[in-house]
Amino acid sequence: MGEFEVHRVRFFGLVPAGVRCLACHPRGTRLALARTDGAVEVYNFAANYFQEKVIPGHEARSVESLCWAAGDRLFGAGLGGDITEYDLSGLSAARGVDGGGGPIWSMVANGTGTQLAIGCEDGSVKIFQVVPGGIQFERNLDRRKGRVLCLSWHPSDTHIVAGSIDFFRVIDVTSGQTVQRIMVNYHMEKAKRECVVWAIALLSSGTVVSADSFGRVQFWDWEQGTLAESHTVSTSAVLSLAVAQKEDSIIVGTSTGATYHLQLLPVRLGGLEKRWVRTKPFQFHSHDVRAVAHSPTALISGGLDAQLVIRPLMEKVQKKSYDAALRKFTFPHRRLVSCARKARLLLFQFSQYLELWRLGSTEETGKDGEVLPLCRMPEHLVQLKSKGPEHIYCSCVSPCGTWLGYSTASRFQLYRVRCDGDGVSLRKVPKVPKLLPPAYQLQFSADSESLFVASTRGSVHVFQLLEPGGCKHLHTLRPPSGCSEAVYLLAPSADGHWLAAVSGDWAIHIYNLKCFKHHCVVPTYDCAVSAIAIHPSTNNLVIAYSDQQLFEFSIPEKQYTSWSRAVQSRGLHRAWLERDSPITHITFNPKNPSHILLHDTYLLCVLDKSLVSGREGWGCRGLLQSLTRAVPAPLPQPLPDDSALLMNQSTLKQLPETARKRQLHAFKICKKFQPLLFMDLLDKNCLVVVERPIMDFKTQLPLPVQQKKFGT
Amino acid sequence: MAALCESFTLRGPGPGGGSGPGPGPGLCLEPGPGSDLVLLTERGRAATLFKISDQKPLGCWSVKHGQILTCPVVCNFETHEYIAVHDDKVLRIWKNEDMNLDKAFKATLSADVYRIHSLPQGGALVLFRGGAVRTLDVLLEAPQQEIENLISAEAIRWSGAFMEGQQPVLIFTTEKDRNFFVYVQKPKLGNLHKYKLEQQGSAKPLCFTAHITNQTVTLLCLYSNNSVYQVLIPLQQDTEEEEEKEEEILSKSLLLNLSVSGAVLKGTSLVVLDKDHIAVLGSLPEPGKKPKECLTIWNTKFQTLQTSKELPLGTSGQLWCYEEKFFLIHGKVLTVIMYKCETSSLAAAVGKLKDSQTLDVSSFVNWNTLEDEELVVSFQSQESVALKAEARMSLRSNRSTVAGQSGTLSVGQLLLRLKDASNYVVETELKKLMAKAPTPDLQATIGCVVTALTDRCKRNPKFYPQNLLQEIVETRDLSYSLCPDLMAVALEQKDLHLLQMCLERFPDIPEEITYACLKAFLSVSEDHLKSVDVNLDSAICYVDVELNDMEVKTEILENGFSEEMDQDMCDTKIPKESRSVGESCPVGLQKAALLNAVLHSAYTETFLLPHLKNLPAQQAILFLRYLYYLYVKCSEKVNTTLPGIRSPTINQIMDWMCLLLDAQFTVMVMLPEAKDLLSNLHKFVRAQVRFYSELNKIEGSLRELQRLNHLRESQTYSIEVLEII
Repeated sequence: MGEFEVHRVRFFGLVPAGVRCLACHPRGTRLALARTDGAVEVYNFAANYFQEKVIPGHEARSVESLCWAAGDRLFGAGLGGDITEYDLSGLSAARGVDGGGGPIWSMVANGTGTQLAIGCEDGSVKIFQVVPGGIQFERNLDRRKGRVLCLSWHPSDTHIVAGSIDFFRVIDVTSGQTVQRIMVNYHMEKAKRECVVWAIALLSSGTVVSADSFGRVQFWDWEQGTLAESHTVSTSAVLSLAVAQKEDSIIVGTSTGATYHLQLLPVRLGGLEKRWVRTKPFQFHSHDVRAVAHSPTALISGGLDAQLVIRPLMEKVQKKSYDAALRKFTFPHRRLVSCARKARLLLFQFSQYLELWRLGSTEETGKDGEVLPLCRMPEHLVQLKSKGPEHIYCSCVSPCGTWLGYSTASRFQLYRVRCDGDGVSLRKVPKVPKLLPPAYQLQFSADSESLFVASTRGSVHVFQLLEPGGCKHLHTLRPPSGCSEAVYLLAPSADGHWLAAVSGDWAIHIYNLKCFKHHCVVPTYDCAVSAIAIHPSTNNLVIAYSDQQLFEFSIPEKQYTSWSRAVQSRGLHRAWLERDSPITHITFNPKNPSHILLHDTYLLCVLDKSLVSGREGWGCRGLLQSLTRAVPAPLPQPLPDDSALLMNQSTLKQLPETARKRQLHAFKICKKFQPLLFMDLLDKNCLVVVERPIMDFKTQLPLPVQQKKFGT
Repeated sequence: MAALCESFTLRGPGPGGGSGPGPGPGLCLEPGPGSDLVLLTERGRAATLFKISDQKPLGCWSVKHGQILTCPVVCNFETHEYIAVHDDKVLRIWKNEDMNLDKAFKATLSADVYRIHSLPQGGALVLFRGGAVRTLDVLLEAPQQEIENLISAEAIRWSGAFMEGQQPVLIFTTEKDRNFFVYVQKPKLGNLHKYKLEQQGSAKPLCFTAHITNQTVTLLCLYSNNSVYQVLIPLQQDTEEEEEKEEEILSKSLLLNLSVSGAVLKGTSLVVLDKDHIAVLGSLPEPGKKPKECLTIWNTKFQTLQTSKELPLGTSGQLWCYEEKFFLIHGKVLTVIMYKCETSSLAAAVGKLKDSQTLDVSSFVNWNTLEDEELVVSFQSQESVALKAEARMSLRSNRSTVAGQSGTLSVGQLLLRLKDASNYVVETELKKLMAKAPTPDLQATIGCVVTALTDRCKRNPKFYPQNLLQEIVETRDLSYSLCPDLMAVALEQKDLHLLQMCLERFPDIPEEITYACLKAFLSVSEDHLKSVDVNLDSAICYVDVELNDMEVKTEILENGFSEEMDQDMCDTKIPKESRSVGESCPVGLQKAALLNAVLHSAYTETFLLPHLKNLPAQQAILFLRYLYYLYVKCSEKVNTTLPGIRSPTINQIMDWMCLLLDAQFTVMVMLPEAKDLLSNLHKFVRAQVRFYSELNKIEGSLRELQRLNHLRESQTYSIEVLEII
């Protein structure tokens, strides 16, 4: 099929921020996650755990606690002392409301989602009413000395339990009075050390579950003030705790990176008496597990090693299938790298700065697997720091490499890049049209003459780039029916005729750029779009969904192509569908129109359309057969079933010639480069891949010891 | 190590408890007709049979008023009759069921009896005051026979009887004018030796005790200068006694000084516990106070006081010891003090004590006691473990205040029962024990049980509960040191399956036993093995049974093992038969499995090597053939492992091969039939060495490639060629 010269880049020094807190939506369909840099992400479980929304962080906005309230509203609170509501359709943080008690350590919503309780630095617990458009302070509960580190509502909303250092207390919500105060370090010999109650839960039975820095998970009868059970799960601190809605299962996270599952089990089979038993230990993380969540079917944990781990509970899964597989997410489900193909530049996006690199080059050629000697080393051209506390939403470099743009929550910046000899100069483009920021996605046209800016409410702004360094707002494209969600993916066509835009409601609108008119909508498919691209010669839109489905939509014909229909009717191979990281980038080979290049975190794939299309009457398993049969297949062989292998390139290369012919298929999967953050085609046989080996960034994380925050 | 354990009262201050001052001690204790039984004689009137563990009397017999028992009542272990002498001359013999002593058998003798000694297999011996000895049988044939007087004016101070081989030996000491004499008499042969004891200044012996080992009587004497001396008396051969007429003087050696941190223990009685330990009852003078009496255990090897117990109420100065229990009069009650005494040798600590050494342990006791060697040994070895187990159990039950012992037999009782119960009873009792939930001490208990069983097997060769032993070994994690006699018994009984199991399971088998097993396995015939049930798992996967047919074998294995070997063979023109050596199993399946068990056992080369030298040449060759076969089999596979469970590893095979060659090399070189084997082995090893050196080179190259690859991985940027097919 062909040889590629692969520029294998490992100098993208991305260090994903650690997971600080998790909040599972009460209905269990979405998971909100906050990172230590203040970024908030929403994962959609229904869309194959896709990282659906990302709200970049802010230097001054730490998020200590997240909670869902009043339906689908997401609130966050942190050491800044503010309670912030997140606008999930506009992907921005609304203005915060001051909690009035200093830094906020914890925040929980009551069972009905109408009230928020916050635990503050000054020892107060405050109740806020969730009202349309914001929140309203309601009242203060009994204030005692000592930071309130964790809170939990009783399911009936009558009591709140608040954990502090060395003790926790139970507060009657109606009277606002503390009705019980229990010292947790009472039974310890090492009582001289402070015992920090890091997490707490109040069960409907009146049992208080506390997790403390001595590594204990304790069960208290708060009314009697007695300790019912104590489980020392770890020698180091237990930092987080989450209880299943049914109150029969608890997950705790510790500072050693281990998580433990506790279950309420009958003492004897069939008996009525039940006890909490530590059933399963897990060691998914290398660092502190600061956040855990318990969805109805899964244990979820997030660590300072930036990993989000979703482990389905086997007993809740009907059959052993893909749903029961463990999911680990370390890298974002979106692009942080953009590439100037012609200039061979790479732009790396970090949370508060950008790096521009020029790729090296070689004059040699070689055989498969060979490393070619470099005649020019890669070059770090420039580091562009974003001003202000806000983190970068998106960035892009133009294909010619002379324009560079990025956006934060409040600012959009465009730069002119000039490479003269060895030096690089950046010049800010003055008088960029004032638009309502932020931009969620920036995309330059193939000829680098226009810039597309994804914006709120489904709109896309089109800028005309002017020489030597100017910019003019040409038009704003809007979906005719209106849309509340922001656009997060853009794809212009190479001929400058079309633009596809995906908004948060997963609708794909196609605009005609010649007349700035809405062209059509791609038929709705109820899953998140993870990548789109328009084919340069056929103007077919290739769409990758987070459930791993692939579609091809002919823009001129406003309908799915016959290839796409064929693929859909035959179904994709199970091994393809069961990958757990979404396709994040699609590109094409201009020299070989039937090739589609795709990649996710673990593989890059060249999909040869010619091997899939054009053969009719294969039956429902046609594609599958085409995947595994020799093409052209001299003898159509019946396939066993889904268990036929979807062989990747390295496996195929090991096969003898005859067997290889029989096993060749349309999905040329290469798993050589992992974890893969970006892949693009520079020219007809030159690829660039950006890898970020896990070990490279793990070494940059703080040592995996108990984090000394305070009081420990 | 020795330790005194708990004590209890066997008998309170009864009517005969404290007899008045008399010419001799007021009480006498003799072993009863069974274990756990003692016979207490109170000078004067009555004899009582006690069950020790129950602390209660089982029977009591007394003489009529006016009559006096003049020597301790003993029990004839063969007939279970009791023998007493009253009024010096009147012999009484009765049985358990006889209530009235007056109606018992009566015989009046012609001379005064000093003591009667009862021996388990030697019957009863009667020692007269005049030094003459008669067996009871002889005496009863003619009670009025004339008894000669052998000692003129000497008074007997102590006497003891032992079995030496099949012959009873009686030793007694006499005193005359501060001179002490020792007489050694073999009643069945009618010879008598008289020795004079070397004088020890002004000190005189207070107490004697003796035991016999290897034809030598060891007499221990407690002297009034608070020292214990040891006197060795060789048992003379019959031929020499004609010439020896003159009086021999026995020299003695100091064994122990009874000094306790400056103070000196004034001993009154002495008991030997084992070859390193003695117990002394005596008093320690305290300045300004009444001397306090105490019971002490001394280690004669290290000359140390091991333990002591104060007896504040005073004693009668007498001490008896049976079945790992001390008996003494404390105040006015007869007190039983249990003790533990373990041989303080390094071998014991390592658990490799040979059984012959443990048998040496014997206990010969008070001057008025007579005991059979073997009985004491068996008592001690069993009772000590039983006591240990029981003491632990009682502690545990005290703590938990749960009487969990009711219903089942206690371990001590069980052990006693194992000694004589029928096979069926033994089996059911042990099944019960094994069915118990595992407790921490169950392991030790099982060890005791096995020891008890093997002791019984040794005593009675017909008793051999094969299935039971196999089951225990199979299901319990025993070790050799926990039941040191088991393998010896199994060897004796030729229980190959049990030996195989022991070899596979015990981690601490002494090399001597390993060798004995190896020899036994090699010498047993294949035909016999076919009928024996052994575990074949370790060999069945690679020993090709069909190939044992010689005809087929030579046909099939035309091709040599490797090219190199072929060449070598062609060069030296080795006849075809010899080629088959490496290719078909030289031993049968059963034997292979047994030998594998030997290969699996742990050993130390230095200790094994001397034994291996003794292996007969033919067996050594057979074993080497088998090892060679295994080696070839191993080398056939890439991973050099043999299939199957517990099959020998290549390292084990090589180690044994080297050991065997080391031990037998000179023999092998001389033997013509070994020549081909050795030459084949040599060639094969040489080929293997070459092969592996080549492999090492390849490994080195691959490693270098891997290193280069790794180097490339760690680069941050590279341009590579990727071919998509």
